[in-house]
Amino acid sequence: MNVEISDLTRRFGRHQAVDGVNLQAGPGVFGLLGPNGAGKTTLLRMMATVIPPTTGRLQLLGRDPGAYGTRREVRRRLGYLPQSLGYYPGFTVAEFVEYFALLKEMPPSRVPGAVATAIERVDLGGRARARLRTLSGGMLRRVGIAQAIVNEPELLLLDEPTAGLDPEQRVHFRALLRDLGQQATVVVSTHLVEDVGAACSQVALMDQGKIVFQGTPAELTARGTEHGTGDAPLERGYTAVLAAARS
Amino acid sequence: MSVPHDEAPADVDLGRVWISVAAQVWRRQPGRLERTAARLLRSPGLARALLTTPSLLVPWLIASIVVLAAGAAATLGSGQPVVALLAPALAAAAIAFAYGPGVDPAWELSCSMAVSDRMVLLARALAVFALNAALGLAASAVSTLPASGAAAAVTFGWLVPMTAVCALALAVATVTRSASAGAAAGVAAWLITVLSGRVAGGHFGAAVTDTVLFLPYLAIGAGCAVVVLYATRIPRGILR
Repeated sequence: MNVEISDLTRRFGRHQAVDGVNLQAGPGVFGLLGPNGAGKTTLLRMMATVIPPTTGRLQLLGRDPGAYGTRREVRRRLGYLPQSLGYYPGFTVAEFVEYFALLKEMPPSRVPGAVATAIERVDLGGRARARLRTLSGGMLRRVGIAQAIVNEPELLLLDEPTAGLDPEQRVHFRALLRDLGQQATVVVSTHLVEDVGAACSQVALMDQGKIVFQGTPAELTARGTEHGTGDAPLERGYTAVLAAARS
Repeated sequence: MSVPHDEAPADVDLGRVWISVAAQVWRRQPGRLERTAARLLRSPGLARALLTTPSLLVPWLIASIVVLAAGAAATLGSGQPVVALLAPALAAAAIAFAYGPGVDPAWELSCSMAVSDRMVLLARALAVFALNAALGLAASAVSTLPASGAAAAVTFGWLVPMTAVCALALAVATVTRSASAGAAAGVAAWLITVLSGRVAGGHFGAAVTDTVLFLPYLAIGAGCAVVVLYATRIPRGILR
């Protein structure tokens, strides 16, 4: 298992953002669904080693990221796209992706090829030498995805990756996700259930800091056959599970 | 074997060929300074962070303004060593804010990188002081400027010594692979610099007995204790 989490909590002052989460994930695309404020982003930030847990056990790629040495090792094999990713407007696309490839301690000889591959995979080859300040929001999001996959991570964490992408780009991105999930563990946090239905083999639903459902998208769909509301079958499963958790 | 000029051989992966061409076309050639820094720091990523520091314009301006203001207070102010002792803390806080969560747009992402964000911060501090020292030297050299005396005082009394202190801190951090050890070495070096300046001026007794200095000494001692405690803390993320 690339991700093993037990009884994980994270508290900000009096607010319990993540409350006793247990999770295991191996290779494949894992969807993290839930309403705004459910704790998805906090959970993802802990998995990205950006913030430490308050209590609980977190194992990433078979290692405990609590110690500096193992954390560094994990980070070399990690890809992360934050929910709100800032950019250096004066950098070109290639410079930005290269900068983070170097900070991930990739061997310098491998960096040019990896940068080119990542940029092509997100379909930005034509803008590789464009300054980031000249790109649209959707293109910037793809630059963010390129830096996340540049080191061919074994654990890829994407927070709202399809925000700002147009429908054609989203279709392309879901295909990329499925491809990446062949080798790596890809955890995608989103509130768009159609992304989960199209790309994920496993899904967890979070609410108020807890995981209230874990299974396949088909199992989530099955929960909504009688009580759920929504236009799509998966949406009905989503609302049914949330309603049951809150009742 | 002849191949029609409008078709590729069947066993050629055009995608792979294009990637290798694109890698060469988009490749950025690091300059001599960056290559040297990468060798010295044993990290191409840290060298890149060092060299890109001034290009992040807003953080650069904020950090430079506070560094120069702290330097002016330390060298042109009352002459109290307490100001000289506390000025680096103010400068470090400003650099940490400007290249941290305060202004750096990619800060969150930087926190998930293998090269530690604290090592990057030490490199940023060196870049801020070194470039400002170079500008200060240039301003001091132009003796026709009305403020060249003040520029020389700030440059030689603050920017150049602090550049050396930052370089020492980064060197110690690189050798020990610990940013905390580097920061502690930098604090100690600055303390010695200020106190030796007092000795040279015949004020060593005052530097030891002056009650005004007790507070900054306590602050520096507490700061070093915090660094040591933090560096040797029980790792978080384990079951407790």
